[in-house]
Formats: sequence, C-alpha cells, structure tokens
Amino acid sequence: MQLTRVFTWTGILSIGGGRAAFFYEALVVRRRWLRTEEFVQDYTLAQLLPGPNVSNLAITLGHRLRGLPGAGWALLAVIVPGLAVLLVLATIYFGRGLAPATVSLMHGMSAAVVGLLLVTSIRLMRPVLVNARAVVIAVGTFAAVGPLRLNTALVLLAGAALSVWLHRPGPRA
Amino acid sequence: MAWTFLWLSLLCVGGGVGVIPEMQRQVVLNHQWVTAREFVDGYTLAQLTPGPNMLIAAFVGYRAHGVPGALLATVAMFLPTSVVTVVVADRWQRWRGHRWAAAVERALAPVGMGLMAAGVYTLAQSALHDTLTAALALIAALALAVRWGPPMLVVVVAGLAGWLLGA
Repeated sequence: MQLTRVFTWTGILSIGGGRAAFFYEALVVRRRWLRTEEFVQDYTLAQLLPGPNVSNLAITLGHRLRGLPGAGWALLAVIVPGLAVLLVLATIYFGRGLAPATVSLMHGMSAAVVGLLLVTSIRLMRPVLVNARAVVIAVGTFAAVGPLRLNTALVLLAGAALSVWLHRPGPRA
Repeated sequence: MAWTFLWLSLLCVGGGVGVIPEMQRQVVLNHQWVTAREFVDGYTLAQLTPGPNMLIAAFVGYRAHGVPGALLATVAMFLPTSVVTVVVADRWQRWRGHRWAAAVERALAPVGMGLMAAGVYTLAQSALHDTLTAALALIAALALAVRWGPPMLVVVVAGLAGWLLGA
C-alpha cells in the first residue's frame, strides 16, 4: 500500500527532531496529496490533542487520506522502525557507550533540522496568517510558550478559547 | 511504569519538549530507572533515531526492565492517546461542514502556528550552541528554500560537516 510506504519512509528519514517538516515535504510539496491548509488543520489538531505530536500527526494525516485503516498504518509506520533502531542503540549505549564522533555528527544534524523547521514554518504560516487577528494570536502563542516559558497546556487552552471566541461565526443571515 | 508513561503522554500537549522536565522528574528522581546523564543521552539518541522523540520512553523502559519494559513503556506512551486522536479525527471529519467547526478550524490554525514557532525557538536554543551550528542551520534553511535536495540529504550533509568540523 502506497500510503504505508510513504509514511514509513518519511518516519525513517525524518531523523533529528522536527518531523512535521519532513511530512510536509513528503505529502504536500512532493506528492500534492494535501493542500497546505489541510496540513495546517491536521497539524493543529495533532498539537491540541494529548499525546506525542508525531504519532498524532501521522494519525490525523493517515485518517484524512485513507480513513481508519490509514490512521492505524500511519501510526505503526512512524513508531515501529524507530523503536527497533532505538532498542539496538540502547543496547550498545548500556553495553559500551558511544564514540565522540557520533556526538559531532548528531550536533551537525540537529542544527540542520532547525533550519528545515524554520523554512517549513514559514511555508505553513503563509496561508494562515492572512489578517491581523491571526497574526496577533500566533505571535502571542509563540511569545508565551517560547521566550516566556509559560505552561504549554495552559497557554493552549487559553489561546484556543480566546481565538475561537474571536473567530465565532456571526448571527445567521 | 505503565501508569507513569500514560500520565506523561497525557501531558504531551503542543510539543513533546514541554513534557521533558516532568519526565525527568518522574524517571530520574521518583523512580530512579535511569540516571540524569543517561536521561540526557537517551533524549539525544531518541532525536537521532527515526520516529517520535517520545520513544525515549522505550529507552528508559529498556534500562529498567529490558525489552519487555521497553515495549510496555512504548505502548503506554502511544496507544491510549492514539485511540483518542483516532476517535476525534473520525468525528471531526463528520462535523467539518458545520459553521462552528469551520470557525474553530480557522481559529485554531494561528494557535498551532504560534506553537510551531515556539518549538523551533526551543529546539534552536538547545541545538545552536556556537557559530558553527548556527551557520549550519542557516545553510540548511537556504538549501531547502531553493529546493537544492530532499530534506534528508540536507540533514546528512550537515551531519558530515559537523563531524568534519568538530561541532
């Protein structure tokens, strides 16, 4: 099944954090299975629901593309390969430790991931931040969770409630 | 242990990074399944490996109870919240046409984008610790922006550069 293959590859290739960037590249930029707006909806839903983001994102994307089976396969595809690799690494780590060269390699890779995430965030924001209201909410959320280090769950609840109120539909015509 | 990771998975709202301090408190101080040093190394390994960073649960579970511990911790971390997500995603598809649902989607997208930016910020703080790593991040961003190659290739090349230049 093509969906499982794509999710497995994206899961395997998306090393170093910032997996959403890799999914965006694979599903929206390269294959055009989704529009950016749809990806943003699934990404936001995955963030708001409890649970690790990457598995939630895989589930919401898989569900949108292929329904319940899509969600199940997407979840397995992102978890199982990583679990296998991590178990091997854990065995080595607790056995004899890691070489310093591995650490340099990891530093270089995580730096690149920050760059990738930056570009992806900018691409995702373009269709979302279309008016002053959306910009203010996004900047406020960023400032509260990022530099101010407020509790993420609380910011999320307050920000979501405020934003829904600001976006409430007008009275029926 | 299953309860601990289930509790931690519920706290993973809007970016796993936020749950790390609480996880450290639970697995290092309360239960002493791993040492503080092992926890930091485990998180780095989980970042390096494919799949979610929260697979660090498997690393901790492995140290505490071997392979069965790793599997148990993983299931506790991912299964319950995944079921919730599937159910909500399923319902949401049906509600989507409703005017309030459309308003909620429009309302939540900027919140999600703010969180994403905060995630980049947090990751940048831990990953960019000198001029070299900052330069690598900038070059990687440019490479992706001009579609020089697939993201994975960019990351591997940056890794090799970090290794050669001693990042």
